[in-house]
Amino acid sequence: MARQKRSRELVDKIIRVDHAGELGADRIYQGQLAILGNTSVGPVIKEMWEDEKIHLETFNKLIVQHRARPTVLLPLWNIAGFALGAGTALLGKEGAMACTVAVEAVIGDHYNSQIRDLMEDDPEKHEELLKIIKKFRDDELHHHDTGLEHDAEKAPFYKALTQVIKVGCKGAVWISEKI
Amino acid sequence: MKHYVSITVLQEKLYINGQNIRLTQIVSRNCSTSDQSNSETSTEDTEYETKERILRASLPFVYQHGWTNKAITSGAEKEGLPGVAHGMFPRGGAELVFFFYGECNQQLVKQMKIQTENVEEKPKTGEFIKNSVESRLRMIIPYMEKWPQAMAIQTMPQNAVESWTNLGRLMDDIWFYAGDQSVDFNWYTKRASLAGVYKSTEIYMLQDKSDNYDNTWQFLERRLQDLTTIGKVTRNVS
Repeated sequence: MARQKRSRELVDKIIRVDHAGELGADRIYQGQLAILGNTSVGPVIKEMWEDEKIHLETFNKLIVQHRARPTVLLPLWNIAGFALGAGTALLGKEGAMACTVAVEAVIGDHYNSQIRDLMEDDPEKHEELLKIIKKFRDDELHHHDTGLEHDAEKAPFYKALTQVIKVGCKGAVWISEKI
Repeated sequence: MKHYVSITVLQEKLYINGQNIRLTQIVSRNCSTSDQSNSETSTEDTEYETKERILRASLPFVYQHGWTNKAITSGAEKEGLPGVAHGMFPRGGAELVFFFYGECNQQLVKQMKIQTENVEEKPKTGEFIKNSVESRLRMIIPYMEKWPQAMAIQTMPQNAVESWTNLGRLMDDIWFYAGDQSVDFNWYTKRASLAGVYKSTEIYMLQDKSDNYDNTWQFLERRLQDLTTIGKVTRNVS
């Protein structure tokens, strides 16, 4: 009984935070594209955005399927994501790529730790969810590498900028798991 | 007067808590003799089952004693356990209320499942919600006389969290079987507004003296109508 409950709570938490994360990611790329749509990196961003749209749709379905509660802060992530994307894009395409690198690094780590939690709980029961998360983690890390290929490190204040974004993302993850 | 009441409650609580540990031990020892064979697997489950058994047996005594320790004592005695078994329930009558609430929720889920699963035509959302709320409220009718006490117990600060969780779960169940697919903030507004309707109808019901609670069901229909109107207006404005 207690075990089942714990397992349910884990899945609930994971789906809630991932859904919030994918919504944020979707909005970040949308924000970047609004500024950089007509530049040389436009198609690259567009391609990554398409991935995120699929991710978001998947989690929309998973929320209904697992009856997980979406986070209360969705309206906030909605705005914050767009602002982050558009804001870093205003620093130039390197800025946008630095933002991508920072965000995707955190998300990649975060997916990895979720995979660990799920494996620890019950790999057979969570088989489907594990498959999805593994696939998405690979996508996100691919975006991370794409960012580095497109001169992310040449962004102004690269170190400081990515650090700030990383801390912000971790905070968002933490609170979205809770509420 | 108010002071006086709160002090007696406190004393009774302390008294119960003081006895609690000892009583739990007596009762669980009593039960473990019957299934020593699988005692290793789940002492936790046996305790849970015993509690459920006592609470179920206590419900008929609610008519007489209300949602109190006394009802639990009578229930335990009827099950052949010592009357002091009410010490297994440190929150006393509140646990009986929550047990009843949970049982009713489960029963409603069963009903809604039958209505929505493996049927050719899914019921209309509005009608389905109205019927579900009505069937859930009808489950209270047998206990109507003592229900105000139960509602009061649920609003006490120490019980408030569980009461909200129960209400939230009920609303989630209804929306889920109504086929709600929302994954944005609507998830919250839908559940919150239906909770408002449910609670106000429940309160209306307490004083309803009409035959078969007809006035209550009309009240419910008007409140749900209000919700639809509000929904339409906001959609038109935005």
